[in-house]
Amino acid sequence: MANLTRFNLRDKGAEIWAGWSRPVRTVFVLAFIVLIGLMPFAASWGPTSFLNTPITSFQNVLVYPVGMFIMMALGLNIVVGKSGLLDLGYVAFFAIGAYSQGILSTLYGWNTWEVMPFGIGFAMLAGVILGLPALRLRGDYLAIITLGFGEIVRIVAINLSVTGGPNGIPGIPNPPSVFGLHFDLMHPETFFWLVFAMILLVIWMVRRFTIRRPGRAWEAIRQDEDVAALMGVNTLVYKLWSFVIGAAVGGAAGVLYASKVMVISPDMFKFDVSILILACVVFGGIGNIWGVVLGAGILAYMPERIRFISDARQLVFGLVLIIMMNMRPDGLLPRKKREKITEKGAK
Amino acid sequence: MSEKLLELKNVTIKFGGVTALNEVNFHVNRGEICALIGPNGAGKTTVFNVVTGVYPLTSGEITFKGVNLAGLKRHQVTKSGLARTFQNVRLFGDMTALENVITATDVHKKTGLLRALIGTPLNRKEERESKERAHELLALMGIDHRADQLAKNLPYGDQRRLEIARALGTEPELLLLDEPAAGFNPAEKVELANLIKKIRDKGYTVLLIEHDMSLIMGISDRVAVLDFGQKIADDLPTVVQNDPRVIEAYLGVPADAS
Repeated sequence: MANLTRFNLRDKGAEIWAGWSRPVRTVFVLAFIVLIGLMPFAASWGPTSFLNTPITSFQNVLVYPVGMFIMMALGLNIVVGKSGLLDLGYVAFFAIGAYSQGILSTLYGWNTWEVMPFGIGFAMLAGVILGLPALRLRGDYLAIITLGFGEIVRIVAINLSVTGGPNGIPGIPNPPSVFGLHFDLMHPETFFWLVFAMILLVIWMVRRFTIRRPGRAWEAIRQDEDVAALMGVNTLVYKLWSFVIGAAVGGAAGVLYASKVMVISPDMFKFDVSILILACVVFGGIGNIWGVVLGAGILAYMPERIRFISDARQLVFGLVLIIMMNMRPDGLLPRKKREKITEKGAK
Repeated sequence: MSEKLLELKNVTIKFGGVTALNEVNFHVNRGEICALIGPNGAGKTTVFNVVTGVYPLTSGEITFKGVNLAGLKRHQVTKSGLARTFQNVRLFGDMTALENVITATDVHKKTGLLRALIGTPLNRKEERESKERAHELLALMGIDHRADQLAKNLPYGDQRRLEIARALGTEPELLLLDEPAAGFNPAEKVELANLIKKIRDKGYTVLLIEHDMSLIMGISDRVAVLDFGQKIADDLPTVVQNDPRVIEAYLGVPADAS
């Protein structure tokens, strides 16, 4: 058990990765992408059929909750993991994205691809509106404000007529086909590929930021905000950016979610989603992309897999969380002991 | 007269009823090593905090390169050419030594978040250059062999040196050192004194707070003395050393004199 807590798979993986040449890495990444891309068919292929989820369709589970949770957890990780800002209302941005899709598509006939930039934009705008006043506060106070914000968005959605009140918005269209890929009820695997592509995009973005100036600024803010400011980091601007980028990812996930499930209502965007996403981040390994992906994947998938025990499901889920956090308080794949925030090369 | 790089005019700081600095007039000339001394609680670190924008002024004015610093945010003060170290080492412990310094060099970068995402040629060039610069500064402080170690794992002396390297990373014109020799043994102090001189000779101006008199007397061009928030002396080290008010502040009044 002691070994289990000390052993850092993340460092081990990074070590192996560092030893590889560029072509080997490329092949590995491509193979990995293809393998994940084949995931929707895993349930119907003999050796991996144990992955199949009872009751709900495996392919749908891969899109929501698994894919969506991974995406949101990656977005929240920018805020909580990278810059150390505790955001308890992250679901608000997801909701804003989803309602953008719901309203713009049903009232104005926009399709998902047209709504996407606006959904992301609205979420970012909300991030600025919330962030500008809230980010002047720290720690617990920030957490409480974000928590309130998450509730405000949901309550506003309940009370407005344009959002359909408590009934929500029905009849949201699926995204139109692109490149011969159809997005509808019969093709959940294409949704999965779409989410997967977006997840890859987010990972690429976060990695870019992490090894360059923004990543250093966030890391400095996380470790000592006052010293960061005194060393020339414009703390408010960088905190705001991390908030807004996190919001953008949540918004994008929301747009996609709404066009997948076709019906949205305020009770899909409750406080417990924020907490669950935060749990994914912490469970997987706060601050580490791969940990977060793994954590979100497991926490989203597990409750669906054990659905056959119905009532005891949440109990088992909670137990697993408690046991895991006791054994590995830093998460499954903890932040690398020496997180790289500069690029290779030059000396 | 040489140029006054930093000038404090009638600076007063009050925390509630406590007057931390009272009508302090003080300046630092470009190119000199100036020392700020005084008994504990005299207000030395308060001077650093008010200059770097941590505390707001109650009254008075601070100018740096002739420009009033009032209203500037902390990172703007740093960008204008002032950098400091801390009395209690405050490094970014979970970053490597190199990353600590690179983070400081970021202040003068032109490319921010968006160009970092796209990876423009200018961004790549800046990233590369700041890495080279950081190695240079670590080498200057004699700790380049520690570049890839986490700051929190460095020996205490190297942490202090890294703090100076990080401050230099912001390319300051005026370097503020808050008790850089605290906890050093005599040999390390001599080494540090030489290092501070070397830094000055590279064109930086240095203002340092220090308790070690031999260090101060050896390297300072000028010494200012604070006592209970007031400046009581400001002159050449040899003069200050024999100033009766300074001796009184440090040692108290002899019993027979009163």
